[in-house]
Amino acid sequence: MNKYTALIIDDHPIISEAYKSALLQVQKQQENISFNIHIAHNCDTAKEIISDFSDRKKIIDLVFLDISIPPSKDKKLLSGEDVGLMINRVFPSSKIIVSTTFNDNYRIQSILKNMNPDGFLIKNDVSPKELVSSIVEVLTNPPYYSKTVIKLFRNQLTNDFILDDIDRKILYELSLGTKLKNIENVPLSTSGILKRKRHLMQIFDLESSDDRGLIVMAKEKGFI
Amino acid sequence: MKNSILIKILLCLCCVFFIGIACTSSISKEKKPSKDTSKQDSIALWIKASKNKKLTSSQQQKQLEKAYLKLQSTTKDTLHAKNLSSIAYRYLELKDATAFHKINNETLQLALQLKDSFAIADAHWSYANYYYNNKNYEKSYFHYNIAYKHFEGIQRDFETAKMLYQMSFIKGIYRDYTGSEVLIIEAIKKFKALKNYEQLYLSYNFLGGLQQDIQEYDKALFYQEKALAYLDRFKNKINYRSGIFNNIGSTYRYKKNYTKAIEYYNKAMSKKNRPTIINNKAYCKLMLHDTLGIQQELFRALRIRDSLNNNNGIIASKINIARYYEYAKKIPLAFKYAQEANIMAKKLKNGSNYLETLQQMANLDPKNAKQYLERYIQYNDSLIGVERRVQNKFTRIEFETDEHITENKLLEQQKNWIYLGSFGMLLIISLLYILKVQKSKNEKLLLETAQQKATEEIYLLTLEQQAILEEKKVQERNRISQELHDGILGKLFGTRINLGFLEITKNKKVQEQHQYYLEELQDIEKEIRDVSHQLNTDTTNTDINFTNLIAQLLQDKSILGNFKYELTLSEQISWKTVNELVKVNLYRIIQESLQNIIKHANASQVLLAFSKEQEHLVVELTDNGIGFNSNKTTKGIGLKNAHSRIQKLNGKFHLSSVKNQGTSIHIQLPITITI
Repeated sequence: MNKYTALIIDDHPIISEAYKSALLQVQKQQENISFNIHIAHNCDTAKEIISDFSDRKKIIDLVFLDISIPPSKDKKLLSGEDVGLMINRVFPSSKIIVSTTFNDNYRIQSILKNMNPDGFLIKNDVSPKELVSSIVEVLTNPPYYSKTVIKLFRNQLTNDFILDDIDRKILYELSLGTKLKNIENVPLSTSGILKRKRHLMQIFDLESSDDRGLIVMAKEKGFI
Repeated sequence: MKNSILIKILLCLCCVFFIGIACTSSISKEKKPSKDTSKQDSIALWIKASKNKKLTSSQQQKQLEKAYLKLQSTTKDTLHAKNLSSIAYRYLELKDATAFHKINNETLQLALQLKDSFAIADAHWSYANYYYNNKNYEKSYFHYNIAYKHFEGIQRDFETAKMLYQMSFIKGIYRDYTGSEVLIIEAIKKFKALKNYEQLYLSYNFLGGLQQDIQEYDKALFYQEKALAYLDRFKNKINYRSGIFNNIGSTYRYKKNYTKAIEYYNKAMSKKNRPTIINNKAYCKLMLHDTLGIQQELFRALRIRDSLNNNNGIIASKINIARYYEYAKKIPLAFKYAQEANIMAKKLKNGSNYLETLQQMANLDPKNAKQYLERYIQYNDSLIGVERRVQNKFTRIEFETDEHITENKLLEQQKNWIYLGSFGMLLIISLLYILKVQKSKNEKLLLETAQQKATEEIYLLTLEQQAILEEKKVQERNRISQELHDGILGKLFGTRINLGFLEITKNKKVQEQHQYYLEELQDIEKEIRDVSHQLNTDTTNTDINFTNLIAQLLQDKSILGNFKYELTLSEQISWKTVNELVKVNLYRIIQESLQNIIKHANASQVLLAFSKEQEHLVVELTDNGIGFNSNKTTKGIGLKNAHSRIQKLNGKFHLSSVKNQGTSIHIQLPITITI
């Protein structure tokens, strides 16, 4: 009989309830598995619970992590991503299932890269059944990725060129309609960014220096 | 630059002015004859007809009236004045004083108006003649003098000399011999220069007469011989010959060389002056004590003169008859004739004869001699007084005429100054006006530039505003997208999963339906996700502002100008990379061109196309309006503006238009512009 400690982090009670139901369903289906379930609706609560467990020298085995959750009051934890990284640090062995509605490739990719979660669910991909099976899979034979994530991998594999973080970041910012001079999260000057852009144009084999074409292409190729 | 333009404008103005004058004058020169020739001809004919001696004087006057009436319809020019003068002179000759005065006055006024010196002098000449005929010598002299000054002023030597001759003649009448001599010598000089022998003959003859009067008989003979010599040099008239011989005879008579006098009188004998000659000859014979047949001859002369009503002749005859009777010692008879002559001379105001008869009477009637002599002295004094007065008057006339003419000259000069001044003023005023116009034009241009700048600023502001709006839109869309994605989708997901975990165990059908609805919910989520997704992807369409503006502009103008339009935008153009300044200028040019199309072209269709050729942005605006000759038309300010705008952007601007086939504007601009 394996007793797992599970932490559900999602700002919507109804969703956390759903995860709970799923966990209970697993418990029901798998006789040797039971869950001790904790729920947090924001970063602060999540942090409290994590600290509490850590203080008591106990670990959390499984985490359902939503990315867009209210940040902590001290602004140290801005989103689920930060919480995930914290969990990775505090409980290296715990298995995290990122469950998000994000569907843009850039975010998915960056989460995968930074956090390397055992499970990655795009909320709309999954049905109750899939949710249940994903939990089992992550516990027994990780990782588990939902369909959209797998598609992304596939897209990336078929591309014969590689974009680095900065390229992606630029593309992502441009796709949000951010003006060149307003791009802040990139450690480059405007001219540097322009140079990158021109390079990207070449990569995508684009003639006009229009952002639109670039973004459309980047989306098509699954970079954003 | 500005100055040179001004000068050019002035030159042009002057040219136009002078060409205008030249045109009008040439027109007047060309037109008048064709229109008036026939009139002038008929006027000349009528004037000529009035000289026809076969007509009665009233018939002649009628001809003149016709000429005068016709003349009224011709232009008031020099020729008109000339004709008027001719008509006036004819009236003078016909002795119609009223008509003469009226028309001659008209002539003079017109001549003064036209400043036609010749016509002025001519009119005065006519007046002088008129007064001369009426024996009003003072007035006559006055007019001769004016005529003389005018003729002299325009160097009409013949007429000038003629006036001098006439003036000299009048001075002679008033026994101003010195004055008269001065004038006649002046006249002779001119006639000599003109080689006018007839006038020279007359002048020398007159000069001889003058010398006779001052008892310089040798001098008189000298001049008379000269006159005689000139007589052979022109087609002489018999009267001239007999006249000069008579005069020479008289000179010899005064010299008391009666034999020689008779010799010349014999030569002088002609039909016309027969009584004079007879009379003179008889006197000579009497002096030579040759009384044979004298009485008969004297009475023959008197008879002829009586029949001719020649009063002065009668007086002369009677004086001689009185002399004869005195010689024949028939004193009462002599006194009778002398008295008769005296009364007649008094009546005719024939001063010299009056004095002579008084003397005769004094001699014949010694008893009353004192009385006659007193009368003689009194009359002689008064005569001298009159002559002095008249002589003074002549001097005054001369002085006044001189003054009058200098005054006229002064006035003329003044007038000229006024003309010059007003022309200068006009020039200055027009200059000032042009300056003002130029200034206001410049101001207008400045204003236009400022306005243009303002419009450009407005355009930029509009663009900015639109960009902000677009950004806000995007933000809002993103917010909605986010909301849909994170909030609604999440909740829906939660609900669906929870529903899925609900233990629905009733029957199979319900379970199937339950599953179906779950799947349906998942589809809904997917749809929402797609919507959210789309909302997000559309955010890249942020730079369609310029084309939007152009489309809006076209639409607005098409309603105003009532034309259909077609806007073609090449996909290849990335408007975001096109410099805002290029856009502003393009927008302005298109705006102005459309304005022109509305105003002038009367087009029903307008095509606007933006395309890309290599690194150039190409704009083509074509209409199917009435077009214009693009070669001839001077560039308007709009076109010039467009040109300079494009030039500033290193682009090319080309306009081509064919009459009735529309106009097309082609603009080519480099896309990447460094300004």
